[in-house]
Formats: sequence, C-alpha cells, structure tokens
Amino acid sequence: MLHDELRFYPGGDRAIEVELGDGMDFTLNFTVHRLVAAVREARIAAIEDLIPELASFQVNYDPDRISYEDLTAEIARIYARIGAGASGSLPSRLITMPVWYSDDQTAACIEDYRKTYPDKRTDPDLVCEMNGLADRAALARLHSGTEYWVAALGFWPGLCSLLPLRPRARIFAPKYNPPRTWTPKGAIGIGGALTCIYPDRTPGGYQLIGRSPAPIYDGAQRLPAFRDSLALFRAGDRVRFRPVTQEECAQIEAEVAAGRYEHDIVEYQVFSVDRYLDWAKGQGGRG
Amino acid sequence: MSQRSISVVKPGLETTVQELPGRIGFLEQGFPVSGPFDAWSFRQANLLVGNDRDTAALECQFLGPTLRFDCNAVVAVTGADMRPSLDGVPVAMWSSHVVRAGQVLALGPAYSGARAYVAISGGVDTPVVLGSRAVFHMAGVGGRALVAEQVLPLGVAGPTTLDAPALTIPEALRPRFATDRRWDIEALAGPNDDWLSPEAVEMFFSSDWAVQAKSNRTGIRLTGPEFGFAHRAIHKNSDHGQEPSNIIDHGYPLGAVNLAGQTPIILVNDAPSTGGFINPFTVASAAFWKLAQAKPGDILRFRRIDRAEAGRLRAELGRVTSPGVTALA
Repeated sequence: MLHDELRFYPGGDRAIEVELGDGMDFTLNFTVHRLVAAVREARIAAIEDLIPELASFQVNYDPDRISYEDLTAEIARIYARIGAGASGSLPSRLITMPVWYSDDQTAACIEDYRKTYPDKRTDPDLVCEMNGLADRAALARLHSGTEYWVAALGFWPGLCSLLPLRPRARIFAPKYNPPRTWTPKGAIGIGGALTCIYPDRTPGGYQLIGRSPAPIYDGAQRLPAFRDSLALFRAGDRVRFRPVTQEECAQIEAEVAAGRYEHDIVEYQVFSVDRYLDWAKGQGGRG
Repeated sequence: MSQRSISVVKPGLETTVQELPGRIGFLEQGFPVSGPFDAWSFRQANLLVGNDRDTAALECQFLGPTLRFDCNAVVAVTGADMRPSLDGVPVAMWSSHVVRAGQVLALGPAYSGARAYVAISGGVDTPVVLGSRAVFHMAGVGGRALVAEQVLPLGVAGPTTLDAPALTIPEALRPRFATDRRWDIEALAGPNDDWLSPEAVEMFFSSDWAVQAKSNRTGIRLTGPEFGFAHRAIHKNSDHGQEPSNIIDHGYPLGAVNLAGQTPIILVNDAPSTGGFINPFTVASAAFWKLAQAKPGDILRFRRIDRAEAGRLRAELGRVTSPGVTALA
C-alpha cells in the first residue's frame, strides 16, 4: 500500500529513512527502486549511499554539504516528477539456484538450536503447518514453483530478500525468537513473506527449509559469476529454485570447490511490469 | 627501493587495518562502511606522523599488538592507553616517535578506554577492496584481523624526515575519556521513535544503560529498563512481523539504537546494513568515538540533542582533527 506522499524520518545527523508505503508487495518495492534510480541519476554530490529496501529506502548524506531540509525537498520533487506506481519494462536476469530441500546441514543447525530451545518446532514442519501444506514435498513444490523478485540486498554482504512473483506461492513464516547464533552457508530461509539465501555462516532468524550448494557471495571472486562483483544478485534480478538430490548437491559442491561451477544465469530477458501485474491479477493476487 | 613494511610479532586482540571514510557506496549490496570506530583518535595519530588524517592505520582493541619495524619510520599511538613501549622502553601516547629498522613497538592491555590507534608514516598499504583498505573482519572484506608473522606493507612516507622534532597533541585537544566509567552520549530521536510510547522515549533519555560484554564493532549491546510501545507497534500490518519491535526490513543508520525485542544494540561501523527491527534513536555522528572507548560495564547516559547541535559537535570535532592541532613535544 503506497502512502499519499513520502514520509521522511531522520536517522541521526547523516541518514534519512524515506518511507513510500506500508507492506511487502511488488508494486511498492518496484516504486522504491524507480525512485532510488531517479535519485541516483540526479547526482546529488552530498549523497554517500542509497539502500533500497522493501517499502522504504535509506539515504546517507554529508550534512556539511546539504541540509536535511534541502535534501528531503529535493527527493520529494523527484518523486513528484516520476510519480508513483509501476509500469514499463526492464532488463532482468533470471538466475536458477539448485536447492537440496530439507538437507543435512540445516537439519543439524535446527537440532542445535533445539538443544537450547526444545519447544521450537522443526522449521520445515512449522512452515508446512502454518501454510496448510501436507508435507515437506508439498512445501518444496510450492517454493520452487515460482520466480522470485530480488527486492533488496542487505544485512550481510550479498544476502538477498526475495519476493515470490506468483501470488499463490506466497509462503508465510514467523522469525526465530531469539535469533540463531549461526546458519549454514547457502541456507534457504523464509521469514515473513520473504525468502532469503544466506551468503555465509552468519546469525539469522528465518525458518530454514533447505540449502543451495551454489555460492551467492565470493570474496575471492574465483567463479565466473563473480568476475564483476563479489555478490551474485542485483536488485531487479529474478531467481528460481530447482530442487536437487543429495547426490547432485554434492556434485555441484565439488565443482564449486574445483572453481569450475557455472551459475545458471539467463541474461537476455526483459521483464514487463505491466504484463506481470495483469497476469498476477488474473491469478487472484494483489501484485 | 625495497618495500617498506612492519612484521606482526603478536597480533593483539582483533587488531585491524582501518581507513577513512570507509567503504562508501556498497551498503546497498550489504557491505558495512567499516573504518575506525574512534575517528578522533585515529585522525590525530595520522597527523602526528605527517600523514593525511584519513590514511590507513591500525585499530587495536582491548589488547594491543607487538610490531617489528622492517624500515625506519615515524609512529604515534593514540586512543586507549595501552602503555606502548619501544624495545622495552615506555614511550608516550599522543606523541610522534622515530623508529629505526629492527625496533619493536609493543602495546599492552587498555588501561583507560578500549581502542588505540597506531599510525605509521606512509600509512599501511594493504590492497584496496571496494574502494577502501578498511577491514570488515567478520566477513573478511579488505582482509581480516592481524595474525602473528604477517607482514604489513607500508606506503611511501611523505616529507617528514627522521630527525624532525617530536610532535604531540595538547591535552586540551585530545578526546577526554570518562574516569568514573560514565559517558554522556549525544543522541537524536528517530527514525522510529514513534513506535515507542512517549514514556519509553523519556525513559531512554533518563536511564542508565550498561554496556554488555557481548559488544564489538558490529554493535554495542546495552542492559537497562524495559520499553513500552506505541499503538502503531502493536496494531500493524502483519507484514511487519509479530514482535512490537519488528518492522518491515529497512535500512539501518550508523549509530542507530536498534531494538531487538527488549535489548537495545547501538549499530556501529561493522553493523548490518538492513534488518527487521526498529531504530527509535540514533547517536550523533560526532559522539561515535565515545562508543568506541566505552568498556563493558561502563554506564551510558543519552542526552537528547537536535540536528543543529549535532552540526556544532561535528564542526568542533572537525577542528580538533585538522592539520595544525599538533604541537612540539
């Protein structure tokens, strides 16, 4: 749901939170990215960082070069010029990630947490129960049966927040309370209505349903997918999950270790926002 | 000319290379800004050895390293008092010292404050990663903490000659560390103060907050009273999550007081860039250095200021960290 106008919240003397709306949906997130792109194009020299998120973005700025009042007025002017809403087309890569659902490492991680918190329901079973799914196989089918929109990156280098594009594939899960102290590298988690992939062994709070052997972050830039960037994903990419067996997972891991693995990335597609929203409406979704 | 360098004899406790302004422009991919936690002490160390004030130098935490110089250099130690010595002879903090090739600089535990800075003429010349030499240790971006026997390359030293007179920072221009373990921290309300009850906002600015031992360059964890929440934190769109302090994932400002459940965590240089908890308050940028020097068990009191006062504090900090603040020792 978009607000009628931007809401600005100062974060100390060097940052501003700019909120466009309330909720997690494609149209709102797409509008965030359009506005961030327009602010970036305006080349305001005092802006140091822009962090697009689900329903808002953060601006870090040098307050000795521009005042809070001038910067917020400028962003409001840019928004008035480009307008709210989502339409048009954009190049969007489609990246397919292999996943071993209900794998051994996330199972071990969940059991480790349950040693301290024995009442914690095992993650995939909790997700099935909350979403009316018969079993883990049904969860894997639903989760891998949609494309995802890379809505934001953050929390850790390369960590991505993914929104399912097929309305019926929206899976909901509460976050851990308290959070986990560790998560296996490559783990796939669900929190709120989002899916994330953990780029490394980090703390975390999403319910774990599987693991991808294909890295999404490579500090050493060994694999071809990381030639230009340490992180695999960019906002506006799309992701699909392909279920793999334990054997194929091990095979991919061996290829990664040998520096031979090539990510499945389709570079030629253009994503039509209008056609997507029409389609989503037909699917009974709110887009 | 052979490469100038220093060798790590003992690494200390998570000693890292830091540089200003840090890693700018990569927060949107999840890379924190990093950089020195106490920029006041860091910049004065660089000015003492004749470097540009933002040059890469070492940040030492709680227990300093022992370093052997493979070349002649000018060195200065600032920040937490780690009682530095050169070949076993104590040398003054906040002063420049000429070091000859082969000499060993040893730092000990922090007697006051928590973080010390070692600047070396020419600066540390480790590889630049994403625009900066600043190290984000936990993810290994720009390198990791020092390890024994590591060799750190140094840059080419400027015009400072080895027979140049020793310099010092006059005491009045140095950061003043709390001697009673109580710190006044200037902070601003927002961005999410409207998610707390008005009483909780008042309570935050009038309570003692103890620094937990589980604090580091990603966050300073605090212990104190419980927060009450505003109506909007409890009655909200379910996309925000179930806990009152949950919010739809958003950006995290540097210095934000992040509220995870009932535990406030001040997000500092290596903190996550985004997340799903509210940030009701933000520490003024000119007060970050105090967070760097507060030790576990120290008490923080937050003093509410506005943007205009934050600007005055920034200007004051800029003045005491500019060329010209050094004096003959």
